[in-house]
Amino acid sequence: MKKNKLLAWILALLVCISLAGCGGAQTTEGVNTFRIGTTTSIDTLNPLSSYMQVGFEVFLLIYDPLVRYDENFESVGSLAESWTSSEDGLTWTFNLREGVIWHDGEPLTSDDVKFTYDLMMENGLGYMYSSYLTGISAIECPDEKTVVIKTEEPKANMLMNTTPILPQHIWSEIDTEELELYTNASPVGTGPFKFDSSSEGVIKLVKNDAYFGTVPAMDECVFVSYSNTDTMAQALSLGEIDGAFNIGYAQKKQLDADENVTLISGEIPGFTQIGVNVWTDPASKGNPLLKDKAIRQAIDCAIDKQKMIDMVYGGEGSVGTTLLNPGQFYHYEPTAEELRSYNIEKANARLDQAGYMDTDGDGIREASNGSKLEFSLITIADNSDEIKAGQLIVSDCEKIGIGIKNETMDDGALYDKIISGDFDLFIWGWGGDIDPSVILELLTTGQIGANNEPHFSNAEYDALFLEQATMMDEKERQAAVFEMQRIAYDEAPYIILLYDNNLQAIRSDRWTGFKQIPAETGLFFLNINFDNYINIKPIVE
Amino acid sequence: MKKRSLIQKSIYAVITIFAVLVFNYLLFRVLPGDPLSMMMRNPKATPEMIEGMRQLFGLDQPWYVQLYLYFKNLLAGDLGMSFYFKQPVSSVIGARIMPTIIMVGLAEVVAIFAGIIIGLIAAWKRGTRIDVATLGFSLVTYSMPTFWLGMVIVVVFSVNLHLFPTSGILTPGMTYQTTGAMVADYIRHLILPTLTMSIVLIGEYALTMRNTLTDVLSEDYITTAKAKGFDNKYILRKHALPNAMLPMVTLIAINLGLVVGGTVQVETVFSWPGLGSLMYEALRARDYPLLQGVFLLVTVSVVVANFIADITYSYIDPRVKE
Repeated sequence: MKKNKLLAWILALLVCISLAGCGGAQTTEGVNTFRIGTTTSIDTLNPLSSYMQVGFEVFLLIYDPLVRYDENFESVGSLAESWTSSEDGLTWTFNLREGVIWHDGEPLTSDDVKFTYDLMMENGLGYMYSSYLTGISAIECPDEKTVVIKTEEPKANMLMNTTPILPQHIWSEIDTEELELYTNASPVGTGPFKFDSSSEGVIKLVKNDAYFGTVPAMDECVFVSYSNTDTMAQALSLGEIDGAFNIGYAQKKQLDADENVTLISGEIPGFTQIGVNVWTDPASKGNPLLKDKAIRQAIDCAIDKQKMIDMVYGGEGSVGTTLLNPGQFYHYEPTAEELRSYNIEKANARLDQAGYMDTDGDGIREASNGSKLEFSLITIADNSDEIKAGQLIVSDCEKIGIGIKNETMDDGALYDKIISGDFDLFIWGWGGDIDPSVILELLTTGQIGANNEPHFSNAEYDALFLEQATMMDEKERQAAVFEMQRIAYDEAPYIILLYDNNLQAIRSDRWTGFKQIPAETGLFFLNINFDNYINIKPIVE
Repeated sequence: MKKRSLIQKSIYAVITIFAVLVFNYLLFRVLPGDPLSMMMRNPKATPEMIEGMRQLFGLDQPWYVQLYLYFKNLLAGDLGMSFYFKQPVSSVIGARIMPTIIMVGLAEVVAIFAGIIIGLIAAWKRGTRIDVATLGFSLVTYSMPTFWLGMVIVVVFSVNLHLFPTSGILTPGMTYQTTGAMVADYIRHLILPTLTMSIVLIGEYALTMRNTLTDVLSEDYITTAKAKGFDNKYILRKHALPNAMLPMVTLIAINLGLVVGGTVQVETVFSWPGLGSLMYEALRARDYPLLQGVFLLVTVSVVVANFIADITYSYIDPRVKE
């Protein structure tokens, strides 16, 4: 009896192994499938309530906005073929493309555009996209192919509005209360890819042959979620997947050595920063010494950011200065005089000059009232990179007579502390956007108690923020945005440690036609540009 | 007499589950931090939207109202709404339960059989090299870090031998011509996680089996049986094994209960879309309703498995019958 069972097991195992031998990772014959590994899974297919990275990537391919970004991040028409704006900049007329149809065969009309925008603006839903709609006061549809958008003030980021347009004939059926929890199990859009299926961490899209733009060269695009980056890198080396993003630093060497894989490290919008409590309100529980910008600047100057990037972030990333990424049109590069590069002497001199001296010889400077320059630095407990960065900061600051005490806590607890102003310093990061308003708004007075973590308030900065949002001339807007970054850099409520990079790879032995967007510094995926998904084509043997 | 103890045991089981439920609920509320902070920490989120979210999930209510509503809904079979997936917790769990049951169920079966056989051989050949070798094997696998073992297995079987895929449940993007092809693909993906899981479990079973069997084999009645001239196999099967199985039953029952939740590491290494990886995702996203749902399931299965073990015990062990 027992022998029989054992035999059955061995047989079963043999069958499996033989199956494995002939199976490989092929896909259906004649169909080319591009499989991309990611480290995050999708939360929901509803663009109104999704907030995960993969979600945006999928929505970018299924839905179309009025305008998209090209490879240089300039706005080009998508659903809109052309547009004009009135003399005063308050009325925009978008002419929609002819003959665009939804994946289910219904024609797209201007009502769909109005419906989508109204839905988001009236219900406050889809915060990832609805922020693009700020300032719109009315939308009119004089005919099926024309959308007229009115604003009260000129809207500088009107052509940065990449809100996906949803089909009215499907979404209007859903009760307002149900919208947020609607599963949207089978999304219908107008984009270059149609939704096929989503299960067990795998999302499958197929190309839309009826797409009005360039039809993708790949037949299918599949997103595969991995729970750990090690396995993902192995899967890429083995050819189980054709591309990947969010690759870990630890796997860089392995993939760099793999001749079948092209690995890039590209700049991802956003940064990792030290937030400093600069709240002037009596309710602030932070160390009041940090309200002196001399100390903030000295800390910035004392941190060896390049060493931090090399030691903690595997050399991936670039030294941080101002609020917007160096690759962007709106990035302000501090002048040689303003720049606070790593320089211990300069940092010490700055503190000496401001009157902070070590009078009792314990290695820590004191203010004139005797209070010591000792601060606590909070890092998030499960972020080992940031904890290591924190340790480097402690030893850097020691050299200029500033005592830093490291503290780790859960991100939820840190969030509560930040909101209530109960902290000195912390390390965290932000993700950015092409529209500079998104990051710039963080430090406006109106965001105190919400996203303005340092509780920074500067009247000139606030005024410029409102102004830049209405400047229709790019150059003029750039000048205002430059000035804002200059103020924020000088005041240093945020000490920007680094601009983060994302490691991404493609199997170049199987696929061709991909490029970094923008060239040299950019990424393959996770862009608001979808060119790689359209242009990547299989290498035919 | 027996009926009464059955009722008594059922009541204890219900009380245990209730206590764990309350404890779980309070545990998550005591944790610092706003459950929605993770979701809403975004430069594009406005305070109004965060407030809207809070209302949607009932987080604007005082904690005791939330607790009351939680139990009220629970009695109606409603486990609440997942913050992260924005779907009912029951349907999120429902979609993830089968992969775990299949993988861990299979691993348990393999581990139990292998463990019993290894333990049996070791006990029988006590003191020999075979005993030392099996004991060593059991101790090493028992104390092996699961995550590390999983990676080693991936490197050996996927990277070097190219026998099995590294992860997932089906080849991504594959369209299957027949159901058979799909099942075969499923099995190919199933083998490595199952292997890892069973290696982790074998040690415990083998050690327990060996130790209890060694005890039993030194009992007087075994000597008596030997004196009577029975052959070794007969003694082992009829006299030693039934008695040695008692602690095994308890162990198996407890482990079966843990089937549901004890797979976090294996499922993470192999990206196996089961309850273990769901638990991990829920924890990362601070998705309390979902976490509570998974914990409830784990609690109920452990309690029920123990309950069944208790009952079975009274059948297979005459001493407990009274």
